[in-house]
Amino acid sequence: MTAGSPSIASGSLTGWVKRSLFKNWWSGLITIVLLPIVLLAGYRAFLFFFVNGQWDAVTRNLTLFMQGTFPRAQQWRLTAQILAFALAFGMAAGTSRASARDRAQEAGLPFHEETARATLARMWSLVGFIALLLYFATIDETGNPFNPFLLVGSAVVIAIIGFQAKRMPRRIRNLGWLLTAVLLLLGFQVVSGFGADDWIPMGLILGIAAYAVTPTPFAGALPRVVTRLVAAVVVAFTVRFVYSAVDQPGIGWDEWSGLHLTLMVSAISIILAFPVGLLLALGRRSSLPALRIMSTAYIELIRGVPLITLLFMGQFVLQQLLPQGTDLSRVTRAIAAITLFTAAYVAEIVRGGLQALPKGQTEAAQALGLSPAKTTRLIVLPQALRAVIPAMVGQFISLFKDSSLLTIIGITEFLGVREIAHAQADFRGVSIAETLVFVAIGYWAFSFAMSRESQRLERRLRVSR
Amino acid sequence: MTTTKPRREVARPPFWRDIRVLRVVGQVVAVVIVLLLLRWLYNNLVASFDRLGIALNFDFLTSQTRFRIAYYNEFDPSSPVWQMVLVGIKNTFLAGFFGIILASVIGLIVGVSRLSDNWLVARLATIYVEIFRNIPPLVIIIFFGFALFFFGPFPILSESWELSLGGNNLLILNKDRWAVPGILATGGLTVFWMILAVGVVATYIVWRWRTRVFDDTGQPHHRVLWSVGVLLGFFLVGYLATGTPLEMSWPVITEDRRLFQGGFAFNWGFISLTAALGLYTASHIGEIVRGSILAVHGGQSEAANALALSAFQRYRFVVLPQAMRIALPPTINQYLNLVKNTSLGVAVGYAEITALTRTSIGNGRPTFQSIIILMAVYLGFSLVISLILNIVNRRFTLVER
Repeated sequence: MTAGSPSIASGSLTGWVKRSLFKNWWSGLITIVLLPIVLLAGYRAFLFFFVNGQWDAVTRNLTLFMQGTFPRAQQWRLTAQILAFALAFGMAAGTSRASARDRAQEAGLPFHEETARATLARMWSLVGFIALLLYFATIDETGNPFNPFLLVGSAVVIAIIGFQAKRMPRRIRNLGWLLTAVLLLLGFQVVSGFGADDWIPMGLILGIAAYAVTPTPFAGALPRVVTRLVAAVVVAFTVRFVYSAVDQPGIGWDEWSGLHLTLMVSAISIILAFPVGLLLALGRRSSLPALRIMSTAYIELIRGVPLITLLFMGQFVLQQLLPQGTDLSRVTRAIAAITLFTAAYVAEIVRGGLQALPKGQTEAAQALGLSPAKTTRLIVLPQALRAVIPAMVGQFISLFKDSSLLTIIGITEFLGVREIAHAQADFRGVSIAETLVFVAIGYWAFSFAMSRESQRLERRLRVSR
Repeated sequence: MTTTKPRREVARPPFWRDIRVLRVVGQVVAVVIVLLLLRWLYNNLVASFDRLGIALNFDFLTSQTRFRIAYYNEFDPSSPVWQMVLVGIKNTFLAGFFGIILASVIGLIVGVSRLSDNWLVARLATIYVEIFRNIPPLVIIIFFGFALFFFGPFPILSESWELSLGGNNLLILNKDRWAVPGILATGGLTVFWMILAVGVVATYIVWRWRTRVFDDTGQPHHRVLWSVGVLLGFFLVGYLATGTPLEMSWPVITEDRRLFQGGFAFNWGFISLTAALGLYTASHIGEIVRGSILAVHGGQSEAANALALSAFQRYRFVVLPQAMRIALPPTINQYLNLVKNTSLGVAVGYAEITALTRTSIGNGRPTFQSIIILMAVYLGFSLVISLILNIVNRRFTLVER
C-alpha cells in the first residue's frame, strides 16, 4: 500500500481524517487552503455540466460527431461494422482467455476467471462514455435512423456470443485468432467495399493461414515449403476470384469522418506502421553497416520533426513526389504520413525489446545451429515482441491522440467535425466549450481505457516472466 | 560432446554462398535500391515542379514575404522570407522555453504531490495527471484558444480588466492580450549588459568558492545569499554607472480605449499554446517524477528520517537529487516532445514557424522547400536540446566505482 492511499477500513472516519488530512500543521494548512478551492471548482463544474451548459450543440449533432458526413443512406454499413467488430473483439477475448487458462494449467498455476463485472470495471471509462452517448441520444433523436439502444444491446449480445470461443477445443484454438482477423477485415470491408481490387488483405490473411495449416503429405518427394506455398497461392487466387465475382464497391475512407474516422485512421496506421517499424528496428540492430546507418538516419530524422510537418508534406508535396497522374485522396495521404511517422517510433520500441533480450538466447540458438534468419524469427522476435506489447499500446494511445492533428489539414475527424457543428446557424460561436469538453471526454475515455489495459499487460508480463 | 571429428581443411564455399561476399552484395543492393527510390522521387518532383513552373531552389527566401504577422506590427510585409523564418524560430523558441519552465514546475509539484501523505493533495494530483495525460494536446490548446479567449469570458480591448496599484497597471487582461509591466531600455545598454555578464561570472566563482569552503571546513556556506548579493551588487553598480539605462514600462490603454501601449504583452495564441502544452507535458513529467522518487531506494528515506531530517530536508537533500538522476533522460524526451508540439500553435494562430510556413505556402511559396526548411528548424531544435541536456545528464550521472 502506498503512502497516498490509506485505507478507510483500518479505523474510524475521524481517525482517517486526522491521519490523511491533518497529519501535521503543514498538511492541515494545505487541506484548509485546498478544500474550499476544490469545493468551489466542483460546484462550478457541476453547474457547467448540469445547469448552465448548452449541450444542444452536442445532442443535436450526435450522429455528426460519431460518423461525420458519412452518407446517411449507407448507414447499415456502419451498423454491420460495429456488429462484426463486436463479434471479433468477443472472439479475441474468448480465445486469449482460453489460452491463458491453458498456459496456467500447463504451469500448474491456479487460474482465476475474470468476472464480467471486473471486465466492465476495468473498462469503466469506455462504458461511461457509451452511457453518456446513449443518454445524449435520448435527449434528441432528430434524424437518427436506428435505435442506439438496440445497437449497443445487440453489440453486447454478439460480443458475448463471440466470447464463447473460449470453449473451443485446444486443437483448433488458432482458428479463433483466424476468425478474429477475418471478422475484423470483413467488418472493415463491409464499409470500404468488396471491390474487385480489394482482395489483397483477405488473400493475405487466408493465404498465410493456408500456409500455416496445410499438411505436407508428400514431404519426401517435394520440399514442404513448396506444398505450402502452392496451397497459399491457390487460396489467395480463390479469394481474388470470389472478390471479382462479388465486386461491390463501398464507401471509401475519403467519405468517413467523425469518431469513426479517428478510430479507423489510428488502427490502420498502427497496423501498417508495425511491419515497417519492425524492419527498421532489425535494420538498426543489424551487423551490416549500410543497413544500420540508413535505418538509424530514417528513425532519427523522423523522430526529430513534429508530425504536423509530415502531414504538410503529405498534403502539399506527396502528390508531386509520385509520377504524374497519381491521384491519392486527402485521407490516404494523411494515413501515409502518419504511418511513416509512427514506424520510426515503433522501431525504437521494438529495438528496446530486442536489446532487453539476454544475449544467451541468440547464443543458444547459434549453438543449436540455427541460421541467422531462423534465430531472429523463432527465438528473438517472439520474445522481444511479447515484451514490447505494453509499449506498443502506449504508442497506439499517442497515435490515437495525434490523429486529432488531421483537423489542422482540414480532415473532419472527431475534433474536426466540431467545425461542421459550429457552422450551423444555431451554434455559430456558441457552445464552444461544450463541444470541446464532449470531444475531450471522448478522447479521454478511449485513451484512459487503453492506458489501463497497457498497465495491466505490463503487470501480467512481469509476473509471468 | 564426447566425440570430436577431426578437423578438415575447409575449402572456401562458392561465392554465392560465401557469407563475406553475401554481406557486401546485400549492402550494395540495399543502398542501390534506396538511392534509386530517392532518385525516382526526386525526378518526379523535378518533373512536376517543371510542369507547374516552380523553381526547385531556395531563391524565394530573398523575395518579399507579402503578408503581415499578427501582433507583430514591426514586421514589414516587404521584408524577405528569411526574416519571416527568423521571426518564426524566435516565437517557437519562446513558446518552447516558457512551456518547458511551466511544465517542469507543475510537473515537479504534481509528481511530489502524488506521493503526498495528504489524501486530498494526492488525489487531486492523480486526477490532474489522469485527465491531462489522456487528452490530445491539440484539444487542450483549442480549448484555451477558443473556449477561453476567442469566444470566452474575457472582455474586448476597450473594456479590459485592469489591476492597478498607485496609478500604474500591474496587469491588463483582455481577449487579445495579457500585459504585465516590462522593462524599457533608454540607452547605454551595451556597457550595462557587459557589466552584468561579468557579474554572472563573478557570481559563479563566488558560488564555487562558498561550496569549497563548505566542503573543506564544514562552515555554513550560505551560497545562495552570497551569490544573490554579488549579482545584485554588480547590477546596482552597473545600473548607476551607465546612467540608469532601464526604466519600468507600464502597460496602458490609451484615452480613447482603442490602443494598447507599453509593458510586456503576451498574445492569446502564445498564452493558449504555452499554458496548454505546459499543462499537458506536466502530467507526463509528473509521472516521471513520481516514478523516479519511488525508484529511489526506501532505505534512503529511512536513513534521512533516522538522521532527524525534516520532510523538506529529506526531499531536498536525499530523495530528489537521486530521483533527478533517474528522471532526467525521460524528462529530456518530454522537453523534446513539447518543443515539437509547439507546432500546434498553428491551430490558434500563434506566429511560430509552422503557422508562418503554412501562411507562406498559402501565399504561393514553393511547398517542398518551405517544408524542408520547417523540418530543418525542428531538427535543429531537437539537436540543440538533446545536446545541452546530454551534457547536463553527463554531469549528473552517478560515477560508479
